[in-house]
Amino acid sequence: MKTWKVLPALILGLAAGAADAEPVEVSYLTHWSPETVALLESAAARYSEEHPDVTISVRAVPFGDLLTTIRSSAGTSAPTIAGIYDLWLPELVRDGLVAPAPEAVAEDVLAGWPSGIAAAAQVDGTLYGIPNEVNVYALNYNKALFAEAGIDGPPANWEEFLADAEALTDKGAGQQGFGLINSWSAGVVHPFASFLASNGGTLISDGVPALDSPQAGEVFDLYEKLVSNGWSVPAMGTADANTTGPFLDNFVSGKTGMIVMANWWESALKAGMGDAFENVGTAPIPVGPSGEVSSSISYTWQTVVSASASPEEQAAAWDFLAWLNGEGTGEGGGSAMSDILMSMGILPSRSSDVAANEDVLGRDFLAGYVSVLENAKAFPIVLGGQEFTEALQQTLESLEYGQISADEAQAAAQADAVSILERAAR
Amino acid sequence: MIAPAAGLIGIFILVPMGLTVWLSFHDWSTQTPFHTARWVGLRNYEDIFSNISVGRDFKTALRNTAIYTALSVVILLPLSVLLGLLVYQRNVRGGQFLRTILFASYMVPMIAVALVWSKLYAPTEGPLNQILGWVGIGPQTWLAAPQTALYSLVLLNVWQQIGYFTVLAVAGLTQIPGALYEAARIDGANPVQSFFGVTLPLLRRTLLFSTVIAIINAVQVFEPVALITQGGPAGSTNVLTFHIRRIGIDRSQGGLSSAMAVTLMLALIVTVMAIFAMNRRAEKQ
Repeated sequence: MKTWKVLPALILGLAAGAADAEPVEVSYLTHWSPETVALLESAAARYSEEHPDVTISVRAVPFGDLLTTIRSSAGTSAPTIAGIYDLWLPELVRDGLVAPAPEAVAEDVLAGWPSGIAAAAQVDGTLYGIPNEVNVYALNYNKALFAEAGIDGPPANWEEFLADAEALTDKGAGQQGFGLINSWSAGVVHPFASFLASNGGTLISDGVPALDSPQAGEVFDLYEKLVSNGWSVPAMGTADANTTGPFLDNFVSGKTGMIVMANWWESALKAGMGDAFENVGTAPIPVGPSGEVSSSISYTWQTVVSASASPEEQAAAWDFLAWLNGEGTGEGGGSAMSDILMSMGILPSRSSDVAANEDVLGRDFLAGYVSVLENAKAFPIVLGGQEFTEALQQTLESLEYGQISADEAQAAAQADAVSILERAAR
Repeated sequence: MIAPAAGLIGIFILVPMGLTVWLSFHDWSTQTPFHTARWVGLRNYEDIFSNISVGRDFKTALRNTAIYTALSVVILLPLSVLLGLLVYQRNVRGGQFLRTILFASYMVPMIAVALVWSKLYAPTEGPLNQILGWVGIGPQTWLAAPQTALYSLVLLNVWQQIGYFTVLAVAGLTQIPGALYEAARIDGANPVQSFFGVTLPLLRRTLLFSTVIAIINAVQVFEPVALITQGGPAGSTNVLTFHIRRIGIDRSQGGLSSAMAVTLMLALIVTVMAIFAMNRRAEKQ
């Protein structure tokens, strides 16, 4: 018997009184687009057909407002289920906002997901969420612009990367070689961390900030070189609360030659580019002078259940999530969640979902991401992680806009990181 | 019989204010009960004025808020008087229509304003840069560069608020007796002399009210930052209300955010009191 068919009974058995089939309302908070929300609502409707006592409503807010909404609605008005970025989990657990997963769910996650991904859903050995998506960073490049500039293929190392950025830059036409993002913390820090990983470095090593390493210094220098030479124009990289804006516009309209971005952008790129999407290539992050192999960073999203929900609501929520992420609830033996994720170009994280979607994951754009996943390092999840990310974002943006030098940026980034992690540990 | 009113004021104004001050001396997560707050003395205030990232970000937000507020007031007030004089002319055709148009911008929801202006300001394909291009002016960075982003938000604020302050100016103008203008005219005053000798002195109370309201509105700026810039680029539009929200809610650092809120409140009180004091001194003179 499939695991998802067993889980509901186990979970419901854990919650006293849940078996009375009292009507239960479950709310689900996400940052997905209306099209994706419609798919989730459709899946929820299918679940409700089998469980008429459970009503599931979906609410979406912009990504920039998601954490605020989760925190500000904590209590009786909290959404029963929320999709969260894994970096937020330690502080949500510390503040008692999310409920630990029932034992049956935890066992299923530990058995069905790769250990690294399941680890991102745990705090001090307790599992709090069901991972759904995994995102990894790679180089996206515009093949048409590469052909126009006479470049054969994507750069393999930083030397080629800088040469390509220069060749792709056409100041008169308002075209930049490489696009840097600003005004969006993860959008700024994740590409930086990916270059750092490909240069043999890391943001945090054994809980201690490692931004003072020579490898990190070389990434700060790389950014300074890109901007000071005009190969990257910060003013073309602004993002808005929906993680779109000029940064996206400039890439889809062919004014940016290369970007470092995660796989979930596929749907946004397709929507913006139409037929021109076939010009988008995906390649590993170029290897830095201190690196040996291309690497990158990855992060996951997961669904958590509110600790302030009633036992009945919690039981219904976990049951729904177990079904949503369960084998065979979607097409081709995958989960219903994997169907939703694949519609956005997002890689599912459950091992059986990866196998079920093997054909789709082999398409050009996604295959490039799947290939870099093996060497990707997980973005460090620590207490104070969000503040650390936002502080590094400020420093990088100051460097991009020429307000500070690469050396000053490196010193400030390390000092900030040390003080933030120390304060978080108080 | 002021007890009921005093009670309500105490419950809804003084208690939250006192609680904020009390929390500013504590380490407290906004997601936990008040009894979990841990006394830390002045540490939160030391942190927000220190040179670590918390202090740098706070001081930047304080400076951005001050610049935004000062520029908004300096532009809004004279412009509202100028527009008020224009639309108050009873013998000018279309004055009523112009007043309606001016006030309309104040009634548009900020979400709509933010959506439209973020597109107007788009650096490469935005209409504003295209219009500038027609008259030979190169593209401006608007919200896309730290040098211009805050000023672009000031412009947006002026556009949205000018109708409201113009209505206030018109209300002030209606209180000035026409006989005074007639007397000034008989004394040989030209329109400019009438403006500085009659209009401006008699508009003082209106302008005082407008100044205080404009300052309070500007200090509370939040929506355009949250909807368009998220405080960027490079922290150039990170204003205090948005920053306090980020610290207090996103990061749950209730003690730190309370210290910031108390500092903002004190700065606002000092500023408003200084304006009233200057006004009293001017009236005495």
